[in-house]
Amino acid sequence: MSGGNLRVRGGAIFAPLIAAAVLFAAPAAYAQKPIVVGASISETGPLAVDASYHLKGIQVGVADANAHGGWLGRKLELKYYDDQSNPGTGVRLYTRLITEDKVDLLVGPYSSGISQAVAPLVNKYERVTPMPGASLPAIFQPGNKWAFQLLPPATGYAEGMLPMTKAMGAHKVAILQAQLSFTLACGQARIDQAKALGMDVVYSTTYAMPPPDFSSIALAIKNANPDVVVVCSYYPDAVGLAQALHRINYAPRFFAETIGPAEKQFEGAIGPIANRIISNTSWWPSLKTHGNAAFIASYKKMFHEEPDYHAAGTYAAMQVLGAAVKATKSLDQTKLRNWLATHEVATVEGTFKTDPNGLSLKFGQYMFQIQGHKRLLIWPTAVAQGKPQVPYTGQ
Amino acid sequence: MAPRLQPLNLVILIAVIAGLGAVPLFTSAYVLQLATDILTLAALAYSWNIISGCTGYLSFGQVSFFGIGAYATSVLVLRTGVPWYLAAVIAAAFSGVVAALLGTVMLRLRGIMFALGMLGLARIIVVVASDWNFIGAAGGLTLPAQLTPVAVYLAMWVAVAGAFALNYFVLHSGWGLSVIGVRDEETAASAIGVPTARIKTAAFIMSALAPAAVGGLVAWNRSFIDPPSAFDPSLDLQVIVFALFGGVGTLWGPALGTLVLVIVGEQFWAYLPDLQLALYGVLVIAVVLAFPGGIVGIANRFGWLRRRPVLAPATLSTVSRPPQAPPPGDGPIIEVRDLTVRFGGLVALNGISLSVRRGEMVSIIGANGAGKTTLFNAITGFVKPSEGGVFYQGKSVSAIPSYQRARQGIARTFQIPRLMESMTVWENTLLAARYGKRGGDAVEQAAWALHTVKLDELWLEPPSKLSPGQQRRLEMARALALEPTVILLDEVMAGMTRDEQAEIRAVLRHFRELGVAAVAGVEHIISAIADISDRMIVLDRGKKIAEGRPDAVLRDPLVIESYLGKVS
Amino acid sequence: MIALQLVVNGVLLGGTYILLAQGLNLVFGVMGIVNLAHGAIITLAGLFTYWFATQTHQSPLLLIPAVFIVMLAVGAVLQRLLLEPLAKLGRKGELLNLMVTFGLSYVLVETALNLFGSQYVSLPDLQTTWPVGGLAFNEALVAAGALGALISGGLHVWLHYTASGQALLATSQNPTGAVTCGIDVRQMRGIAFALGTALAATAGVLLILILPLSAPTADTLTILSFVIVALGGLGDYRGAVMAAMLLGLVQSAVGYYLGGDVEVVVPYLLLIAFMVVRPQGLGHATR
Repeated sequence: MSGGNLRVRGGAIFAPLIAAAVLFAAPAAYAQKPIVVGASISETGPLAVDASYHLKGIQVGVADANAHGGWLGRKLELKYYDDQSNPGTGVRLYTRLITEDKVDLLVGPYSSGISQAVAPLVNKYERVTPMPGASLPAIFQPGNKWAFQLLPPATGYAEGMLPMTKAMGAHKVAILQAQLSFTLACGQARIDQAKALGMDVVYSTTYAMPPPDFSSIALAIKNANPDVVVVCSYYPDAVGLAQALHRINYAPRFFAETIGPAEKQFEGAIGPIANRIISNTSWWPSLKTHGNAAFIASYKKMFHEEPDYHAAGTYAAMQVLGAAVKATKSLDQTKLRNWLATHEVATVEGTFKTDPNGLSLKFGQYMFQIQGHKRLLIWPTAVAQGKPQVPYTGQ
Repeated sequence: MAPRLQPLNLVILIAVIAGLGAVPLFTSAYVLQLATDILTLAALAYSWNIISGCTGYLSFGQVSFFGIGAYATSVLVLRTGVPWYLAAVIAAAFSGVVAALLGTVMLRLRGIMFALGMLGLARIIVVVASDWNFIGAAGGLTLPAQLTPVAVYLAMWVAVAGAFALNYFVLHSGWGLSVIGVRDEETAASAIGVPTARIKTAAFIMSALAPAAVGGLVAWNRSFIDPPSAFDPSLDLQVIVFALFGGVGTLWGPALGTLVLVIVGEQFWAYLPDLQLALYGVLVIAVVLAFPGGIVGIANRFGWLRRRPVLAPATLSTVSRPPQAPPPGDGPIIEVRDLTVRFGGLVALNGISLSVRRGEMVSIIGANGAGKTTLFNAITGFVKPSEGGVFYQGKSVSAIPSYQRARQGIARTFQIPRLMESMTVWENTLLAARYGKRGGDAVEQAAWALHTVKLDELWLEPPSKLSPGQQRRLEMARALALEPTVILLDEVMAGMTRDEQAEIRAVLRHFRELGVAAVAGVEHIISAIADISDRMIVLDRGKKIAEGRPDAVLRDPLVIESYLGKVS
Repeated sequence: MIALQLVVNGVLLGGTYILLAQGLNLVFGVMGIVNLAHGAIITLAGLFTYWFATQTHQSPLLLIPAVFIVMLAVGAVLQRLLLEPLAKLGRKGELLNLMVTFGLSYVLVETALNLFGSQYVSLPDLQTTWPVGGLAFNEALVAAGALGALISGGLHVWLHYTASGQALLATSQNPTGAVTCGIDVRQMRGIAFALGTALAATAGVLLILILPLSAPTADTLTILSFVIVALGGLGDYRGAVMAAMLLGLVQSAVGYYLGGDVEVVVPYLLLIAFMVVRPQGLGHATR
């Protein structure tokens, strides 16, 4: 009987204690709630291998941020799903991230195609989204307010090629492009650039993907006899065209292909033909961009391999998000968006700055050349690791 | 026979579906989007079902119409300001027109060639779209970004309902029997009056409508369309797997297959992401080898979801039809003049002239290779004469296609029965009756035809359950259902028991009372037809070697020699 | 000189096409089905060759006999397990046969994806280009053409001058008749599919030297082989040679004069044109 009384009284004492503890703990618990960053990654499907670098870059970004105490005193957490390299799935998953998981921040998906499908969605839901997979200008037009380009625009790819070769005496140019919107934008920009530089475009063609047999196109190039061949390509066409030129014993003096040669297996795929091919990149390990050395070190520590430009792109996206969050001291989408639209951020890929529609303006464009077993940055000369080797001989 | 769906059950069914359909509206945007995607796939699966499941033309073309619809809708919205749901409807109509035009070329091909053609077409369309600036070329088109997921979801339901309705029409209407007939036996369908080219085109057009509509809705929902996303070939694969799994050519198969596989799929891929494609492949193989009827096929074994035979009356015995008089006129019904048919170097018919006269039964006999079936094929339009002509009631039929000849009154049976296996005996006959010359009530005609050949009791069985003799009787019923002026019987007695032969002989003896003006029969079992024929014609290696009364012809030494060889 | 090189390019391209297509032809000719897994088999063999060459640093050509023999066995097993059950349906099983090979192709592609990844790969072997007169002949292309010719010639000799080949030919022309002649039609089907598979795989071994292959794009090879076989007349291996050459030459000319995007649609345009005008193809197939 008295025990019961005691218990009740004990309970009566505990209740306010518990309540106080809860009250005190709540803000602390709230302060521990992580900032969730959401994305969809093409873990399966045709794009899987490259997308894995995309993911790793984000993971390094999250790890680095947490190593420095997180943002706004909160740790970062990554939540991602597999979009199976499918735009429809990507749209569904971003809908889920926004409306169900209610993540705090978003990072865009890997490929241009999925980015393009997701961009209208983030505009409709008004969520800031850096897009490290979208090099297409088409997304970043008037009407887009929430997606930000985290890659140099397609029109800038290989833009150093023509001035560089012109300075070495080249005059006649052949420009080829795959029939996809990124490469078409790139190719058209190169054609315009050639005309602006007063160089003669002696041959130009587009080709559909998957790539056709290139033997007749190679012959047409040979017939036109250009000094410079610039191909706005992806991977299989870069390989195919290089092989085709070799098979008719023709080697232009200067030979550049985009994207394909940056893949690690390019030299293995075509052997000596790859020697002295020039290609573009938006990032290079030797560059002294903001945080680059630390990024490479963290990446190697986490994954025991060298990072590539995909990883650098997503890492830069994390840098950009971090800068915006810290500057506005909030996760409010509108504040973040307005800040990003009006400020610059130094990243491993160079300076992030966009126009009012999210189109990137200042990311660096570089060119490298395969020289024997090495790859050396050759342009711009200020950061070059070596001189370009001329001519391209195909062996 | 599966019972007719009671009105109350129908109401319950609709209520359940509406209830299920409403669920995503009250959960999250993600579930709504998932549901919208499921509906998209279901609409595509239903449309594929029409052209491939029901018509038998394996198509990899759903994605082409999807893309055409997506682009048409986008262009309309961007350039004319038409509201998106209206634009999708117009795009569907446009797609139908495209299908009609494409069909004139594509539908001439059969089987694998048609599939190939559609594949090739899809590739060409992508290249063209990537180059065509009016539709944005490779960069695609961006639509105004408006968040209307609920409206899109409801519009999707309308599209799926439309595709479902089309399937229902094909599987449950008299017209739809023609489609199934084309699938099962395109040649025989032609012989019973089905205008196969028109039917195929209609089915093709029907299969193009829903994909275009949902393509437009998807484009609007995503506010963006470009060639790779509009013409994504993986859509074709998914849709085919869903329809196959659910039950190809059935009414509920596509819906069940899509629902089960998408929902199960979502779970599976989470656990086994690296095996997704392989699982799809294994599923296809397993369904084909183990249960080709899919889910519906399995359900059928338990008595569920069985297809109700089309327009079947409660019983046959209540239906009757008075005997008709044969059509008036004079002159031979069929006349063949100097007919020569060559196949490459082989001369099957060599300058043959003969006629089938009004009111008579002619039997045509001859050793194997004499050209008897070729003669019938030439008369009915399945073989083109190299020289000479065929005349029906005095007029040349050379310009008339086979299905028209059937409709005008030339009926035939086939040497090896070509019956529509997925229809019942009733429906086989009903199909022919729909194209009857005198255009009376098809149900009455079909019932009468079956009654005449005494197949009433088996009327709801599939042809596979009939004996060879019964199958031949069904062929005869089909021919009679056309209300023909002349019937050409190709070895109708083969495989029949003595009793069955007796029954057929009884029918043939009184053919005039059945409204038939003449009968010609090719036969090997001469004893069965010699005494009921008015005249007998003998063919040997493409030529006519004897003609006259049966007893005289059968004693003709030339005839005996052609069968047995020369006795020296 | 340009024109001559165009012709050389076209002929060499045609040689590659023959190599691609003959395996498919054999299967269709005897069994009346089109093997939709054809491209997947080629790709799987090519990717395996890549793996072999990069792991062992041996010449990929060493694999040709081994792959041929192993795939004969694999093809026979696949046929017995997956296609023989449908054989009794005859003509009506056409759709189902297609579906089975369709499913098989996806299983094979997924296997390739898991074993070898999703990226394009190619091998830098046989890259020498021989200058002859003013013309260039590339070693890999010549080898492919030579193998294609060997296969076609071998098929011709086998089908017309050996008992087993004649039995196969008879089965393709008239299965019922073949049975009455005492030919084991079931065995013929097994042989045809086994051979078709083996030829496809062998093609893959060489193909990896000619163009980049990847698991996700395996079906492009199926479609291309299909087009060649259809142009030549399904089942007609002589027609296939003609069609391959025609396609190679036309593509070569179109690519040169009209550029890359038109070149890509040439096979499909030709196919559709033929199907309208001459559906039996270039050859004289009896099916």
